[in-house]
Amino acid sequence: MTRERLVDARLHLLSRQVLDADGEPVRAVDDLELTGPDGQEARPGEAAQVGAILVGPTLFTRLFGGAVPASRLPRIAWSDVAHVGTAIELSVRSDELDADWVELWLRDHVVGRLPGGRHDAEADG
Amino acid sequence: MNVGDLLDARVEEPDGTRVGVVVDVRFALAVTEPEDGDGGSGGEGGEEDRENPDEPLSEHTAARDEVGAARLVGLLVSPRSGGSFLGYERTDVRSPWPIPQLVRRRHRGTFLVDWADVAEVRTAGEPVVVRLVGGYERRSPAL
Amino acid sequence: MKKVMGAALGILTAIGGFVDIGDLVTNAVVGSRFGLSLAWVVVVGVVGICLFASMAGRVAAVSGRATFEIVRERLGPRAAGANLVASFAINLLTLTAEIGGIALALHLASSVEPRLWIPVAGLAVWLVLWRVKFEVMENVAGLMGLLLVGFAVAPFLLGPDWGELMRQAVPPSPPGTEHVATYWYYAVALFGAAMTPYEVFFFSSGAVEERWTAKDLATNRVNVLIGFPLGGLLSLSIAACAAVVLLPAGIEVSALSQIVLPVAQAGGPLLLAVVIVGIVAATFGAALETALSSGYSLAQYLGWSWGTFRRPAHAARFHLTMIVAVLLGVGILMTSVDPVMVTEMSVVFSAVALPLTYVPILVVANDPQYMGRYVNGRVVNALGTVYLVIVLVAAVAAIPLMIATGAGS
Repeated sequence: MTRERLVDARLHLLSRQVLDADGEPVRAVDDLELTGPDGQEARPGEAAQVGAILVGPTLFTRLFGGAVPASRLPRIAWSDVAHVGTAIELSVRSDELDADWVELWLRDHVVGRLPGGRHDAEADG
Repeated sequence: MNVGDLLDARVEEPDGTRVGVVVDVRFALAVTEPEDGDGGSGGEGGEEDRENPDEPLSEHTAARDEVGAARLVGLLVSPRSGGSFLGYERTDVRSPWPIPQLVRRRHRGTFLVDWADVAEVRTAGEPVVVRLVGGYERRSPAL
Repeated sequence: MKKVMGAALGILTAIGGFVDIGDLVTNAVVGSRFGLSLAWVVVVGVVGICLFASMAGRVAAVSGRATFEIVRERLGPRAAGANLVASFAINLLTLTAEIGGIALALHLASSVEPRLWIPVAGLAVWLVLWRVKFEVMENVAGLMGLLLVGFAVAPFLLGPDWGELMRQAVPPSPPGTEHVATYWYYAVALFGAAMTPYEVFFFSSGAVEERWTAKDLATNRVNVLIGFPLGGLLSLSIAACAAVVLLPAGIEVSALSQIVLPVAQAGGPLLLAVVIVGIVAATFGAALETALSSGYSLAQYLGWSWGTFRRPAHAARFHLTMIVAVLLGVGILMTSVDPVMVTEMSVVFSAVALPLTYVPILVVANDPQYMGRYVNGRVVNALGTVYLVIVLVAAVAAIPLMIATGAGS
């Protein structure tokens, strides 16, 4: 059964934690991109929907002004969103998202290379 | 166009009269109920279960309702700027006194305007300006 | 059994968070100058931290969201960003003070120069954060911190005039030798030391680290209602020690050696050794908590993965933040700044930042979407509103009082 639930961006979507399919944090929602039914940019007065969750630099432009070319913004397609609750849960894993590249780069090149960087403290019992 | 562009935008009537600022953007989220007998926490399903105010949101998403498209419904416009992020003028939450009472008082006159009633969004320049069509309708902001 | 283990979280935050270097220094300074005439502030602070820590723990257990995620979600990126900058700076200042406290305590025990202990302390803190399981961290530091009970034993050995101590405490009035503004300046400092925001960041994130759910709410309540008042009692006994020995002798506390002087006088080298181990454990525990809190707050604001339950490589930015914070703390101390002074500053600035954290917690604890049937009851809300007023007054008064009194001098 499909129905509609009303949500307000500031109250229910923006700044919420995004979790991947395994429940791992990805980013917080920094902005939402609006698109028309054809996938093009949304136009005033015409049908529109959320096309993607924007993360990263868009937070700084929202806070301090300025703009980043839209094509350069890390984004998570709305079609990858599975559930909306106290967090936004995705149906994909974070390694499949290029939005999380800083974390992955640091993992592979810095923290993962320090001695014990891949040690699991929980496994010590 | 992003939601961030619309938030805090100045809202004008066709003749340029200021009516307020955009305090929030409303969407209708398509949700698909989990199949019956799915092992979800509440067996009843349906609207009542979803809106049961006793269940924390984290528990009812545990019932795994699948989310589809988020359709843009309209803009929430308040005659006063700022401070509406708590959203008390749209819900019936009354505690902790006196915060909801103060926010509600400040944002009296907040209304919802359909996205179809938006004629133009000028994103060039600060602040962003949203121009409405003539004869736009002021709807209830309640969720 | 699981419940008994869970209560250790409360005991750690009580000892390491309630009695940290801030409480040690502030209570000893206050005791040596005002006797027990500010004891009531500690009581007010204990009730306040019980109220808000249990609220933050309940929100984390029910919604799965830790405090700084909620701060950003409710306040939006702008106001929450301002809060982040303030909280992070205070956290860093407190972490610096704690590492300094470890070094000073080790110096007392070993007579090796504190400057040499600072990098050792910093490295030890990092290694524990890097390798050790969350539950082990809290239990070890918490249990060893209990040795601070030496401060509570000392007054009995000293055999003070109990009637005089009571007269100082009730009804409270500033001693004739001190200015009223100075009295209130230290009242704000004590309040800030008791209610430091990092305690709720740590407490709520700890609940997520230990995977609490709504079923753990009883544990949450036990932790807070037993742990924090115990910490408050220890704080009061530090002030009492100073009031009995240092106040009559006219000694004003400016070094850690003076804080432990009454203990040495009461119980000799043995009790002194016990208390010094307690101080090392408590400041070490608090250094862990503040370092973790710096990682928690930044990671939760930006939505990074965080937590010691993940392998460091799977919370890379979180661990990197903590490394940078510890390095900064060590760096600040190596400029030979006085850790006691850093401590006094950090508690006053804590008081300024309190409303930014406690308002969103109170708001979310009332949000039925997050909390369902676990929303605040009437009594908790009434108390919460009263504390909001106190917290706002303290925040507004802190800086003017600091300027007017020349930071209490």
